[in-house]
Parts: sequence; structure tokens; C-alpha cells
Amino acid sequence: MKLIQIKTIVATALLTFVLGGCNDNILDEQPRSIYEPGYFKTEKGVQGGLTSMYNHLRNLYGQAYYYNSLITGTDEATYGASADGNFKDMDLSGAGSIISTSYPTSILWSTVFPNINTASGVIENAGEVGIAESLISEARFFRAFDYFLLVQTYGGVPLDLGAGELKFNTSTSRFSVRNTVPEVYTKGIFPDLIKAVNNLPAAPRLTGTVTKTTARLFLAKAYLTYAWWLQNPNNIPTYPETTRVDPDGHDAAWYFQQAYNVAVDGIESPGANGLVATYYDVNVGTNDRNKEMLLYADHTEKSEVYNGSSLTYGSGGAPDNFSGWMMTWNYPDLKSSGVNSVQREAEQHLGRPWVRMAPTINVFEKTFADKTNDSRYDGTFTTVYRGNWNKAGNTSATLNNANGLPVAPGGAILTFLDSEPSTPITYPSGSGANNVGAGELPGRSDYVISPRGISRIVYPGLWKLGPYRTDSGTGLGQPNAGSTRPFPVAKFSELYFVAAEAAVKGAATKAGKSARELINVIRARAGKWRFDNNGNVAKVADNSAAMIAATPATIDVNYILEERSREFYGEGYRWFDLVRTQKWEELASSYEIGGASKGNHTPIKVNRTILKYQYIRPIPQGQIDAMIMTPEEKKAYQNPSYN
Amino acid sequence: MTNFLFIKSKSKHFKHLGFLLLLFMFSVGAHAQTTVSGIVSDSFGPIPGVNVSLKGGKNGVSTNIDGKYSINNVPANAVLVYSFVGFVTQEIAVKGQSQINVTLSEESSTLKEVVVIGYGTQRKEAVTGSVASISGTTLRDVPSSNITQALQGRLAGVEIAQTSTKPGTSMQIRIRGARSLSASNDPLVVLDGIPFSGTFSDINPGDVKSVDILKDASATAIYGSRGANGVILVTTNKGQKGQAARFSYDHFYAVKSAFAQYDMMNGPEFVALRKAATAPGASAPLFSNGPDESNDVNINWQDEFYRTGIEASHNMSVLGGTEKGTYKFNLGYLKDEAIVPQQDFERISLNASIDQEIGAFRFGLTTNNNFSINNGASMGVGTVLSTTPIANPYNLDGTLKRTVKMAQDEAWVTTRETINNLGDKWKDQSQTMASYNNIFMEVKIPGIEGLKYRLNGGLNIRMSNSGNYTGEGVFNINPTTVSTASISNSISKNWTAENILTYDRTFAQKHKINVVGMFSSEQGTSNNSNIGAKNIPSDDFQYYNLGYALGEITINPDWQGYSQSGLMSYMARAMYSYDDRYMLTATVRSDGSSRLADGYEWHTYPAISAGWNIGKESFLRDNKYINLLKLRVGYGQTSNQAVNPYSTLGRLTTRNYNFGDTYAVGSYVSTLPNPELGWEFSTTMNYGIDFGLFNNRLSGTVEYYVTDTEDILLGVGLPPTSGVGSYTANIGQTQNKGYEISLSGTIIDNLNGWTWDAGVNFYSNENKLVALATGQTRDEGNGWFVGSPINVIYDYEKIGLWQQGDANLTKYEPGGNVGMIKVKYTGDFNPDGTPTRQIGAADRQIIKLDPDFQGGFNTRVAYKGFDLSAVAAFQSGGTLISTLYGSAGYLNMLTGRRNNIRVDYWTPENTDAKYPRPGGIQSGDNPKYGSTLGYFDATYLKIRTITFGYNFDQKLLKTTGIDKLRLYCTAQNPFVFFSDYHKESGMDPETNSYGDENQAVASYNRRILTLSANTPSTRNFLIGLNLTF
Repeated sequence: MKLIQIKTIVATALLTFVLGGCNDNILDEQPRSIYEPGYFKTEKGVQGGLTSMYNHLRNLYGQAYYYNSLITGTDEATYGASADGNFKDMDLSGAGSIISTSYPTSILWSTVFPNINTASGVIENAGEVGIAESLISEARFFRAFDYFLLVQTYGGVPLDLGAGELKFNTSTSRFSVRNTVPEVYTKGIFPDLIKAVNNLPAAPRLTGTVTKTTARLFLAKAYLTYAWWLQNPNNIPTYPETTRVDPDGHDAAWYFQQAYNVAVDGIESPGANGLVATYYDVNVGTNDRNKEMLLYADHTEKSEVYNGSSLTYGSGGAPDNFSGWMMTWNYPDLKSSGVNSVQREAEQHLGRPWVRMAPTINVFEKTFADKTNDSRYDGTFTTVYRGNWNKAGNTSATLNNANGLPVAPGGAILTFLDSEPSTPITYPSGSGANNVGAGELPGRSDYVISPRGISRIVYPGLWKLGPYRTDSGTGLGQPNAGSTRPFPVAKFSELYFVAAEAAVKGAATKAGKSARELINVIRARAGKWRFDNNGNVAKVADNSAAMIAATPATIDVNYILEERSREFYGEGYRWFDLVRTQKWEELASSYEIGGASKGNHTPIKVNRTILKYQYIRPIPQGQIDAMIMTPEEKKAYQNPSYN
Repeated sequence: MTNFLFIKSKSKHFKHLGFLLLLFMFSVGAHAQTTVSGIVSDSFGPIPGVNVSLKGGKNGVSTNIDGKYSINNVPANAVLVYSFVGFVTQEIAVKGQSQINVTLSEESSTLKEVVVIGYGTQRKEAVTGSVASISGTTLRDVPSSNITQALQGRLAGVEIAQTSTKPGTSMQIRIRGARSLSASNDPLVVLDGIPFSGTFSDINPGDVKSVDILKDASATAIYGSRGANGVILVTTNKGQKGQAARFSYDHFYAVKSAFAQYDMMNGPEFVALRKAATAPGASAPLFSNGPDESNDVNINWQDEFYRTGIEASHNMSVLGGTEKGTYKFNLGYLKDEAIVPQQDFERISLNASIDQEIGAFRFGLTTNNNFSINNGASMGVGTVLSTTPIANPYNLDGTLKRTVKMAQDEAWVTTRETINNLGDKWKDQSQTMASYNNIFMEVKIPGIEGLKYRLNGGLNIRMSNSGNYTGEGVFNINPTTVSTASISNSISKNWTAENILTYDRTFAQKHKINVVGMFSSEQGTSNNSNIGAKNIPSDDFQYYNLGYALGEITINPDWQGYSQSGLMSYMARAMYSYDDRYMLTATVRSDGSSRLADGYEWHTYPAISAGWNIGKESFLRDNKYINLLKLRVGYGQTSNQAVNPYSTLGRLTTRNYNFGDTYAVGSYVSTLPNPELGWEFSTTMNYGIDFGLFNNRLSGTVEYYVTDTEDILLGVGLPPTSGVGSYTANIGQTQNKGYEISLSGTIIDNLNGWTWDAGVNFYSNENKLVALATGQTRDEGNGWFVGSPINVIYDYEKIGLWQQGDANLTKYEPGGNVGMIKVKYTGDFNPDGTPTRQIGAADRQIIKLDPDFQGGFNTRVAYKGFDLSAVAAFQSGGTLISTLYGSAGYLNMLTGRRNNIRVDYWTPENTDAKYPRPGGIQSGDNPKYGSTLGYFDATYLKIRTITFGYNFDQKLLKTTGIDKLRLYCTAQNPFVFFSDYHKESGMDPETNSYGDENQAVASYNRRILTLSANTPSTRNFLIGLNLTF
């Protein structure tokens, strides 16, 4: 009996031993909750790759520091009172400088390569799994889109990520060689965009996906930019050094002509796209994702998961759409009878104030000199701040405001005047009763500041990029969330500018599509009003004729640039426009603005030092550090003068 | 070693135990021949409870209170065995005598000390590796809810750092420093012989018998890859064979209050700051009072928030043994309340062990189970600290406001009252149930003396379930912010099977051989899930039915997970000692891990160590002064597989997008596969001397070691142009070298009833990164610099403030101002003395964090039943990062925007201040170089506990049936000395957060511990009682 027991036990023990011993499969791995790169070779993986390309736009468009790098330091804006070094550096006005460790100029570099690689992966794998070329062309579009951004920003960039030119990289190589600018255009940008133009659908696959028209705009812009580069009128250096000779044997004129042709094709065959009726309707939140919007980084207020960022409190980092906070001054400081009469609200005129960037006085006096006929000033800025204390639970029917006069909710608390008034404004010393240093004019119940009275701390807000929510009810909503609106990347209207610019640069034009005629399409539209945004009243007016009449007989590059700024002010086009046309130094070398304290209304002229080497940005130090190369190779990798 | 001190007292109370044993024991009847009786005594007199038995027989009796025994049925040729814990067992041949009086001699402290070494125990004198031990009793000198707290400062080379001050959190343990850059540096914990997968908060300190820490490779080799960061062997109490049942009850009750409040400004101080904070050149302050602020208000928000916390612990156990078996039951209960309202930790633990011999077999089971509830862990102090003291939380009618509007910020009014009033509107709870079980079967292989086979099976399971509900508008400035709720669940399972053959024999009395061979496999599987929901229609639901949510229900893929990993090992160890003079231990182990790449899964490595007990050599044997002198030297390799499962496979990261109202999930390659990922190795040389002098009144250990770690497993950041963020590879080398000194002594040895013992330990570990990825000497992004320790910060070095008249201020600092922080410039100079460039990234310095040395000491004075003891910990040098003072916490913005930590700031009238001019040049929202304000000398000496206790007189207790009764009171965290940080702020200088926690902006690498805005550390007063009968 006892023996049997022992036998049983020993047998059990041995069995356990043997089972344990043979059970070698505990060393095998089977992931069940993560995707490994193999997934990328399936049809769903390819589709996931495409979605991630649209997602990558959020890391650039709406990302305020990237946004800053394209606007601060141009003739559109300078740094604001609460600016940190990221903004002061970009201003090039002595408060900082752009070096290889500057964050804003590194964002593009660190964002797009993974996307380029994903695009290459999709392009390589999609054919194998039977995906249609119309879909693959979306990947081609994004690969070209990213390379186009890179080449404009940094000069030549690598086409080989480690597995060969334009190949999907899965190697761990830490070596990199930069191609030249012509190589990037002729190998990396044009072929992809041409295929995309040929294969993308006329109508988007899903809301906001790229179309033939989108591809045409970027192909036209790429031709235009490359043509300027070949021409190089102001002798701006390029890097890696190369002769300005097109490997495909064309000259600048040929590319200007291509730019014109492709852009006009886009205008003539708009597909599902086109201009909307008024400029106000291009930018008003209720009309987001309109047909003029060719490309945007989308967001939604309906799902935090798919919005990618908080719907209640934005973190101030990608993928938040928080660019709009930068040029929003701290309007909640405003007081009427000691009460904060304009509170933070999730409303397009208001939003979250970060005071990091400020428009210059020149913007109001020069760019937007016409504030009456041209609806674009009213459709760009918040110039009237209206009382909303009732939404915060304060039931006061009126508050006494300027000159002791009562203002009801919805009434103007502060107005940025269109021009200098004939009666001088009485400004308080310091911040005054209104707490922002705004002045009074006799008989007016609103406080006022004139264009020459704006400062780095108090200035009109950027209405265009303000938040728009439908879930605020009767309250203030969620002003601290990132904007849930799509951030515009490209608009149909730009086709007119591209074609016009190419025409100015000598492209043969089609009938009815001369530079002036093209620009006038945009200007005529700008003359159409259906709503007085800052007056907050319906206003139906058609000033198209006056607008056209004011167009100079001969359009030059400077005029196109001015007009571009009126159309696209504060959206992130400016630095590229000034660099492409090599006009940065000419147009942005000085500006005027008041100081950083409330009550300061004395414009100060500030000079910028913009040097030729700065027309391309430094290669980010993170790239240099992460490569395994000799110090000499690393030095050669960096753009000149940034070492 | 510190626990030498306690063995003595232990032996005394074992005597009393013996008395009880006697009371409870029944005589065992047997067939008689003669009866032998007598008295057993030691040098002080009769000893009760001594076991007297026939050699090879079953009979056994115990001596009574007078040390007398009487044993029946003793054959005339029998041999009697007299044994008692703490004494040398004696065997006496009866030879027909009927009266045998015996005097037992005490075992010397080194002889009787047994050390758990992994797959066995060893007498301390025979140990050749580096092992530090502490008994449960000594551990409990620092009453605590968690053994990591009690271990702090107690053992040389074992650095224990606080990672959180919340109840129920464990401390971080580093044995001889950190080795690895990205892999885990946590030591392996073995609970009752089986690798432990839980956290220290799952272990009831009341049930711990001993903690043994294996430090060098020759000691840890037996645990192979799991042991690279050291091994902590936790052994729980067990019954002893033949021991009468014993019941113990231990209890303590503590009252907790803040050690010090965070040193924020009060109303008038804040008003002065806001006034002083003007932009350079401007006269108006940056911020003016908000709607709810008024200069005549002076609210201490911390007073409004904190409560008095209570901590209570109960522990009951029954231990006993029969002739062939032992058993133990233990029930523990702990409740620990933070001083932050609604934050507490509760734990019930139930442990049992049973061990039974049946013939040649032995079976046993140890089970450690616990259930814990953690409430309110998410309740932070950030809002309380940042709300200005001039913001009035009360309406005119005395009711509390919902929010207070300050200059630029609005804050939800966070006070005890508002938190307590939330009721169903807020709940944050996590519950954990864990069960750690070890079963074994052992059999003596017939025919070969000393050969045993043992099968160990470990089965662990840990489940946790947590939920979080925040009602509409709760904590939010917007009263209509929708409610949110989330639930998460995780379960981790782990099994271990070990087949062990042990051969243990002594030949010719002098040759001791112990050989262990083992084959083991283990596998761990874990799975976790999380669901979030918005807009719960009623507060009643809280998080209990997310299905009712009206808003979005989210299952974030990043918060779901599954992982499984396995490890297989073969191990052999041989220990040989000759005449207790020469000892040799050799180990070889081979490990295979599923986490590593195909073809790189297996690795085999050796360890060897030797010891020479010089004290036993003839020339020293009779030396009066030297009782013990042992030299040890060890060499060994261990390896580390501590990468996450699936690290070799690469990974796609998903990101969501909306196409208008159409939702989609995107994916891209974020991590590349590495088909060559292999083991990380550490090689250690260890040298040690153990000594006991002056009749063992002074004993100690000195050790020196060098550990080189190679093929460090590291997440390698690729350059952006590779298109992929990173991959995991074997790259880099580190070195740790250091020394450890432990001394303990009996200063007064029973002089007129007085006894005074003291122990001290010092240790120093120098950590150095030897090499990084090919060609790189620095990785600024990760903060890794070859030649520097792993833990450094890379930042500017503050050398003062810029003063009026300082030359070239604007050249060094374009846009700068007088009174701003002055940092070190490392660039060149022009002939005219001006700098060639402005201060920039190139001027950042590597700032060392690790202390020069650290350690602890303990002392105990006893007189009759009274004793007074103290335990202290100290460290010297290194850098303490306080994010309260630096820029990460947003509490030292010096702009007057929010409340500010109380600092002496620069004004034109106060130019020799430490802190910069308020409102001066900023970087983001903080003063430029504001992070440099957060660095302090980390030196401190902290008295961790002072205990005054009384042991009731045994004779008095005798009548009550109680064997032992002790009452004590303890002050925890009473004093801090030598700390600059404490001097400046009055606060506790110990870290309380990981580097990315409890800050406004996560600013440091997680592994760098910081002092941040966590639940404040407390000073506790507790009373306790220990009762045994």
C-alpha cells in the first residue's frame, strides 16, 4: 500500500518534471494586444497607414510652436507679452536667435520622416495586397507633401532613410546623407504628385481626404517654388551645395509655366471644390470643411478619442489644435465696474489667451489698410470684445463701462478702432479702470484702442482660428480645450495666387487668366459681405467693383505677397511665401508695436536682422546627435552658419 | 550586523516562551524502562522549555519553570538530546543514570545565525557571498505598513528611496546602485522561496520572520537572470517542530500630521510678491487681483485642506508544531489614512503555512493572501498650493464658493469641506486581491544519505479592479463639464515549477558538501483593460455601470494589454567547506528567456566564491580579542532580461483621426524589430571581511565590490531621418563600484541592569556610464553621458543673480535684466573681455544626483524592562530636485500669478537674495533658468523613529497566563538634521515622487526621484503593544 503511494507520488513528480522540461514553448512569444510591423503588409494595415498620414497633419497644423516658426519673424507677427524664448528666437529682433537646438524649427523635421516612411511602406505594400492606385496616390501625395515642406525649410534632405531612395525603411541605420534640392524635387516630389494628380479622385473619398485638385495645388506650388529656386534672384545660398541646374533639363521659365498650367487646370476643373461666396464664410466655424478647404488637419468636438486631445483642457502640445491661443491676448482681464466683463469663452472671437504672438501695427496700417470695402479685415480679426458676464452666472443687466455708461451683455466692452480717431483717445496711465489700459472717447460706452495704440500685450485677436463649439449651451463652454475645428492647410483660393505668381514670373497666360484677372477673382470675393463680424449684425454688401478698381494695373510679386497676407493672414503661409520669393528681408526687416505693459500705447520701431543663411533652417541638433557619423560628417550635414 | 543585537534579546524571550511551552505540553506516554530526571540550566540558572528527547526516538519532554524535567521509559543505553533555541545542543549518554543535570552553553552569535541564501539556508559563518540580513523583529523596530519603509537605512548597500508619500505605496530599492539604463533596476523579491510578482505593499510586515538580501553575483547567481539587481528573500514566520501553540497579537495606532506644510506664501507675503512682480522697465505689476482676490484676505489653503490621519495595524498569529509538522496562521489588518482627505489604504492579509512529514516525504504549503483597498490616490495637492492666499473661498454669507477667480486662473475651491461634501459625486478606488502560494513536496532518496529531491510549485495571482468617477463640474471651473468615469481591471498570473535535487553530507566531520541541482520553468501572464465613459446620467451610478453613459465610451488601445513571458533555467551549485575554515561555493546557471530574440534566448554563466575563516585557524583560535575573522572573495556573472515582452518584434503605434464625422484608426511603425536582442550581463567582483572582536561585542563587515554591466538593454533613439523612432538593442556599459561598512557593538553589556547597543552602516556606490551606442559619448535627450553616473541632470548651473553694474549682462543674456538668474558661461571671450556668444545650450552642465555616501544607524538603551531605541538614516552629498522650487511645479513662477513657494527674492532693496527678481525675464511661465532653483544639496540625517518601550515583568504576567507583553510608543520622523532643504523650507528632504509626477509639467526622467507636490510627508506618534501567550 505504502509502496503504491510512493510510486504514485514519484510518478507525479516525474511527470511534472518531464512536462516542465519538454514545455519549451514557454520561450515562444505571441503578442495579442499590440500590432507588430508585419501587420503593415495586410490590407487593413495599409488603410491604417493612410489614416495615420492624415493624422500626422495634426502634429504640424494646429501645433502652435510650428505655427510660430512660420509667422513670428515675418511681416505678419512678432512675439507677444507672454512669449517665451521659442517666440523671441523666431522674431530675429535681438531678443533671441535661431540655433540648432531651437525647438520651433525642429518640429517639421522630427514629424515628417516617420510619415514619409509610412507612405513608402504603403506604396510598396499596397500593390501586393491589391489596393487601388487612387488610394495609393494618397500616400504618394503625402510623401511629396512632406518632402515639399522639408525642402522649403531645410534645403536638400535625404531621400534614402536607410533602405534605399524612397524605400520603406526597417533598418536601424544611424547614417544619413542629404540629397540636393533638385534631387528632392525631381525624384521625391514631382513624380509622386504627378501620379497623384492623375489618379486621385475628383471628389474626396472621405470628408477631408485629398483630391485631384489638392494634388494640383501642391504640384503647381512645387513647380513654382522650384522655379524660383532655379532662378534665385537674390542669390540666396542653398545646401547641400549644388548648381542651379535642373537634372531634367528644364529652366525656371519652364517650371513657372508648369506651375501656371497646373494651377489653371485646378481652377478650371475644380471637381468638388471651389470658392465659397464670401470671405467670412471661408473662416466662420459654422461653415468648416467647406468646399474651399482642400486640406486640413481635422478635429472633432464629438469624440475625445478621435479628436486626439482633450475636449475640456488642452495640454498645449500636439495633437492639440492650439495655434489660435498664440495671438489671443488676455481679454479676460477686461473689467467693467470692477467686474470681469469678457470672460474666457469657447467662442470664435474669444478662446484661450496665451499672448505669445502679436500682430504688428504695420499689419493694421498697411496689409489691412482697407477695412471698409475689403471684408477680410473683419473676417480675420476680433476687433470688438463683447460682454459675456451673464454666461458666467452674473445676472447684472448692465455694467458701467467707458465714461460710466452702461453696457448690456453682448454690448461692446472694448473696440480696436479701424483707424486713428480725429479726437484723441484718453488713455489711462497703466491699466486703468478697464484693467487693460484701453482708452475712452467722448460719448462712447466702449473702451477703445486705435491701431497705433496696440502693444505686445493688448491687440486685436485672430478671429479666424478661434474656437467653435456647439456644446456650450448657454454658458461659456470649454474655452481651455484645443480648438475642435479643422486647422486649414490648403485652400482652393491659393490656386489663383499660384497661377498669378507664375504669370507675374513670365508664364504665358490663358485668356481671362492674367495675373491681374486671377487676383481680382479673389479681391472681388473679398468685397462681398453677408455679415459684419465685429459689428455682430447682418451686412449684405458687394464692394467687388471697388475692390477690383483698387487693384493696381500691373501686378508685381510684392502685390501678390500683400494680397496673400490679406487672404491667408495668420495661417502659417507667410514664411514660406517670403522665402520662396526671397523677399523676407525686404518685407519683414522692421515693424512697429507698443511695449509689453498695459497702458503702453507708444509704438516702438523694432528692426530685425535677417541674413541669407537663415532662408534655410538649421538641421535639428537631435538629428545631428542621433547619427553615428564622424564629427566632420556631422558638421557637413548641418546647414552653413548654424554650427 | 545590526541583528546581532537582537538575537540576545530574542534568546531571552525564547526562554519565556519555553515556560509557556511547558504549560501547554502534554507528556507523551511510552513503554518504560527507567525514568531520568534533572535540571537544565545555563550560566544564569535553570532554563524552562528545554526540549529533552531520546536520540532517534519520538519521546520528548520540556523542562518546567524551574528547569526541571523528567522523562520516562528511557533505555539504559539511550542517549538524551537537550536542545533549546539559542544554545548548543548537547547529547548525553544515560548509562543507567536516573539524575542528569545539564548546563547548556549559549551558541555564539555568529554560530547561531542562519542566513537564507536561496534554495537553502546557511550558517552565517559559512557564507562566502555578500548577504545582508535583518530579522523581522528588528524590522519592526520601525513600525510601518510596508517593509520597505522599515528597511530604509538599515542595511549597507541597500538604498531605499521614497517614491510617493501616499498611503500604500512602496519604496524604490536599489541594491548597489542602478546598473541598467532602460531595463528594470528593481531587485528580485523571493517570498518564501518563490519569486514574487506582487508589490511590497502586499506583504504584511507583521508576519515577516526575516529579510535576507543577496548583493553580489556569487550570492545571486543561483537566481540567475532574475538576480542581476540583487535578491531580496522575504521569509514569513513558520511554526517550529514540537513547539506548543503560541498566539501573538501586535497592534499599533498612530496619529499622523504633516511633517511640515509646503512652505507657501501667506497673504501679506503674496501681496508683496504680486506688487514686486513687474516686467523690467514697467511699473505696473504683471498681475492684478482677480475678482475673488483681496489684499486683506489671508487664507492658508493647506490648513483648510489637511486633516489628521490615523494609521492602525493589527496582527494576530498562531504558530505551532507537532512532532512531524508545523503550522502557522496569521491575520493582519492595516488602515492608513493620509492627511489628504478621502485618501487611505486598507489591507487585510491572511497567511498560513503548514509543513508535514510523512515517512520519507515532506509536504508543505505556504499561502500569503491579501486584499487591499486604495481610496483617493488621485487626490492631489496642486490646486491647494497654487491657489493664492488672498483668494477668498467664502461668500459674504459664509458659504463656500464653487471656484475662486484669481488674476489669470480660476480654481475649484479645494478644501476638506468641499471634498467631504462631494459624496457620490466623486469616487476613486482601487481594490487588489493577491494570493501567493508555494507548495512543495520533498523526498529523501532512499539509499543515498543526504540526497533529497524537492518539487516546488509556485502559483501567484494578483487581480486589481479600480474605478474612478468625477461628477459633473467636480474639480472643474466649468460647472457643466460632463462627468467622467472609468474602470480598469488587471489580472496577472504567474506559475513556477522547480525541481531540486540536494545532496548534503558531512564526511569525516570536516568535509561538508552541499550540492544543489535545479531545473525550473516559470511563466507570467498579465492582462489589463480599461474603459472610460463620459456623461454619466446620475451620480448614483458612479462607475458601476458605464453602459448608461450618455457620452463617449472609450476603450483606449494604449490602456489595454496582454503579455506573457517565460523563463527556463538549469542551475547547479556546490558548496564545500573544510573544517569550517575554508569555504568554496561554485554555481553555474543557464537561463532561457522568451523576451529575447530567437537564437539569443539562452545564456549560461558561472559564479564562484571562497571564504577563509582565519579566526578558526590554530594561531587565532585562542585569541581573546578576535572571535571571528573571515575573508571572502567572490566573482560572478549574472544577466538581465528585463525588457518588456515583445521588445524584439517591433511595434506599430496607432493614432486616431476623424474625417469629419467619420472615425478611423491609423497606424505607423514606431519601433523597429531587433532580431538580435540578447541578454544584458553584469560581472561582479566582491571582497569582504567579517569580524567579531572583544567577545563579539564589536562585530562588523566591510565589503568592496566592482560590478561591470555590459550589453545593456536599451531603447535606442534613431535619428528622425530613419523614419522610425526607436528600437531596443544591447548597447552600452555601466560600472558600479563601492564599499559597505556595517558595525554593531554592545557598548554596555548588562552593567547594573543597563545595556546599550548600537549599530551603524555606511555605504557608497559610484556609478558610471562606461560606454553608449557606438561613437556616442553623450545622449542629451536621455540625459546619458559617458563617464558620468546614469542619474544626472543636464542643466545650467546657477552661480548667483545678475546685479546692477555687472558687466556685459546683455551680451550674455540678450533681453535679460538685473536680478535675473546668473548661470555659468563656458564659452570664449573677446579681447575686450566680452563673451563671444550669448549663454546657450552649450553652457549646460552635468549635475550629479547620487549621494557620496549614505547609511543609517540604530541604538538601543535598555534598563530592566525599559528600552529606548532610535533608528536614523542619512545621506551625504548629491542633489535633491525639488520641483516646488524649480520650474516644473509652477509654484515658483515669481510672477504673482498663482501662489508662490516662500522664497527670498531679489528686489532693488534686497539684492543678495537667493531667488531672482519677480517678473524678470522668463522662459515660458517661469523665470529664465527657473529649473536651477530646484536643486538642493541632498545631504540629510533623519531620525526615523524613536521608540520607548516597556516589557512587563514575566513574574507579574505569569499569573495572567500571558507570556510576553510589551507596550511602546514611537515618534516617527521626529527630526531632520544637516539638510539645507529642511533649513530653508522646514520641509522633509526626502523625495516623494517619480521624476514625471506631481508637477505641473512632467520635466524629469521618471527614474530620477524628485520632491514634488505629493501628499505631504507626516510626523506620526504611535502607541503599540505586543502580546504573546
